[in-house]
Amino acid sequence: MLAKEGNRHRPGGGGLRAVPARAGEVLPAPDDAALLKMLYSMKLTRALEFRIERKLYRQGKIVGGVYVGRGQEAISVGAAMHIRRGGGQDVDDIVSPSHRDMAVFLMQGVSPQRILAQYMGRAAGLTRGRDGNMHMGDLRHRLVAFISHLGDSVPVAAGCALTFRLRGTDQVSFCFFGEGATSRGDWHEGVNFAAVQRLPVVFICNNNQYAYSTHVSRQMRVKQVSDRARGYGLPGESADGNDLFAVFDAVGRATARARRGEGPSLLEFVTFRMTGHSAHDDAGYVPKAQFDEWERKDPIRRFQDELLRRRLVDAAALREMEARIEAELDEAVAWAEKQPYPEPEECLTGVYHE
Amino acid sequence: MSAVLRRSRKAPAKDGPAARRDIPPGMRPPPLEPMRNPGLSRARLLDMHRFLRLNRVLEDKLSALYRQGKIVGGLYSSLGQESISVGTACALEPGDLLAPMIRNIGSLLVRGVPPLSLFLQFLARHAAPTAGKDGTLHFDDPGRSIIGPISVLGTLIPVMTGAALAARMRGESRVALTYIGDGGTSTGDFHEGLNLAAVLGLPLVLVVENNGYAYSTPVDRQFAVDSLAERGPAYGIASESVDGTDVLAVYAATQRAAARGRGGGGPTLLECRAFRRRGHAEHDDMWYVPRDIVAAWEQRDPIDRFESFLVEQGHATKGDLRSVEENLAAELDETARQALGSPYPPPEETLRGVYAGGD
Repeated sequence: MLAKEGNRHRPGGGGLRAVPARAGEVLPAPDDAALLKMLYSMKLTRALEFRIERKLYRQGKIVGGVYVGRGQEAISVGAAMHIRRGGGQDVDDIVSPSHRDMAVFLMQGVSPQRILAQYMGRAAGLTRGRDGNMHMGDLRHRLVAFISHLGDSVPVAAGCALTFRLRGTDQVSFCFFGEGATSRGDWHEGVNFAAVQRLPVVFICNNNQYAYSTHVSRQMRVKQVSDRARGYGLPGESADGNDLFAVFDAVGRATARARRGEGPSLLEFVTFRMTGHSAHDDAGYVPKAQFDEWERKDPIRRFQDELLRRRLVDAAALREMEARIEAELDEAVAWAEKQPYPEPEECLTGVYHE
Repeated sequence: MSAVLRRSRKAPAKDGPAARRDIPPGMRPPPLEPMRNPGLSRARLLDMHRFLRLNRVLEDKLSALYRQGKIVGGLYSSLGQESISVGTACALEPGDLLAPMIRNIGSLLVRGVPPLSLFLQFLARHAAPTAGKDGTLHFDDPGRSIIGPISVLGTLIPVMTGAALAARMRGESRVALTYIGDGGTSTGDFHEGLNLAAVLGLPLVLVVENNGYAYSTPVDRQFAVDSLAERGPAYGIASESVDGTDVLAVYAATQRAAARGRGGGGPTLLECRAFRRRGHAEHDDMWYVPRDIVAAWEQRDPIDRFESFLVEQGHATKGDLRSVEENLAAELDETARQALGSPYPPPEETLRGVYAGGD
């Protein structure tokens, strides 16, 4: 390791290592049903978040802030396709979503009704009206509650993976975060621990280029978040986060690797936050041209165009899908608005471990 | 060397529960390279030798005092790592900011902290830098541009990032240098401090003293990279790994790092490989460290290496070097006697100087 004048590294040096697939292994491409499910999940997510952010929030019906993942749906959806579910406690994977991963909640089986009730502070929400917006989880759906302090879910996800290894199962822990979280000490401690212990974690960074108002260039001196992987002895890979196929493929390889007991991987999906940090933020600090540029890369339209090209859907089918989503959401909003707020005497129920 | 490193697979473990068949790769001494003078005068070389020897003799005396029950608090040895403290501190300019950690008594000596102050500090006497209120190296010395260590490992790094930022905002051409152990690199503060220094391109030199163990945790349970220098590219900064037992290699690498910082090239992560040949502190018998690892590193003693170099290069004779040691031993015996005769702080001074704004 030691050269004459030491082992010198220079900034910008070192190529990326893609997450390796096992020799000869070909991961299956998504079949038609999976492709349609992904399209539906992205559209449902966008429509649900649109209602929350652009309608209910402006009508004063939302309790607290609103954080959406508009423009980042391909990451949540492409990754969540690999989360194993429906097999019970010792089979199902576990997931720690970030606050921009609404699609992960939906795909894990949380209904739009409950999510809307959560946003409206109703007793039927995931936190029973105790907390708002994306600050929710539900272990029945293998969803670790999102932790406000960004980066804090990383050691939690590593801990989940440690229990899998101690129990000898092939379950995987999925962990989502933004590029800003990678500057946090907790992120470092959690990733390093997972690397040393070779834990089955898939670390998924949705690099949307702004952490609130901090541009990624003020967040890190490396060009890509995946450059950080090398410091932990991990494979790191960057891919286009607005390309659902690329996300599906990379997360598939990282998941297979984790299941084989080969340890964690760090995946970075480059995307753009097509909104402010939250609904109150007009993102005046983001150059307008960037929104225009990324609007043209919209992940849903790109994916939809591909499915049209493959003749898996046609214009009529898309209209039908969109109408179905709108009808579902009309019903869900009406249901949520009828839900009661929590009773005052229930304030402390479920707050502490019971 | 390999005879020392390898134990027969069939040989019974003689060294207790921690005995291992092979030395893990991360704990083997790096390949031996000849020492090279980076252009230092004979006087400077002999100066460095004197600091190395002073470091060791002083710690020997402190260890003896500890066993006599005269030291207040813990005692952390830098045996076998003196070259890192001395090599790095000698490479800095006097105005550069230096923040030692617990095994960097040598850095303080280079900066001119008198051995008497150090004895007084460890003996918790009234005339000590912290007036007997804290022990070990927990003090700072603004006049010598020394920022005091923080016990919580890693936490000094963001502090030194801040110091480097302050210097730059004032337009001063000062480099900030601090140390961390292999274990401290796993802390969140390490990451946050180094990342911020990288983003802002600050003149920070972070010296990682990779000495094989963080208390009882071996490096292969601490990180999954071969060398901590691999963390450099993960922050987009320069990094380098050197043999920490080669005081001249440490000096030269620090000089390169400081020049890079001063020239606007940002921080440097400098890994110095050495081994902790004593317990975590004096109270620790390090039963968990296999003896053959220690034995391998005893062959790499930084002072023996440097003395052989000085003799081979004709800078000194063995007799010269022996008399340096003898003179220092005699001087320090006298200094220790003086410190032992110095009073403890009076009880009514307990709170003086503890809070800001007091006298």
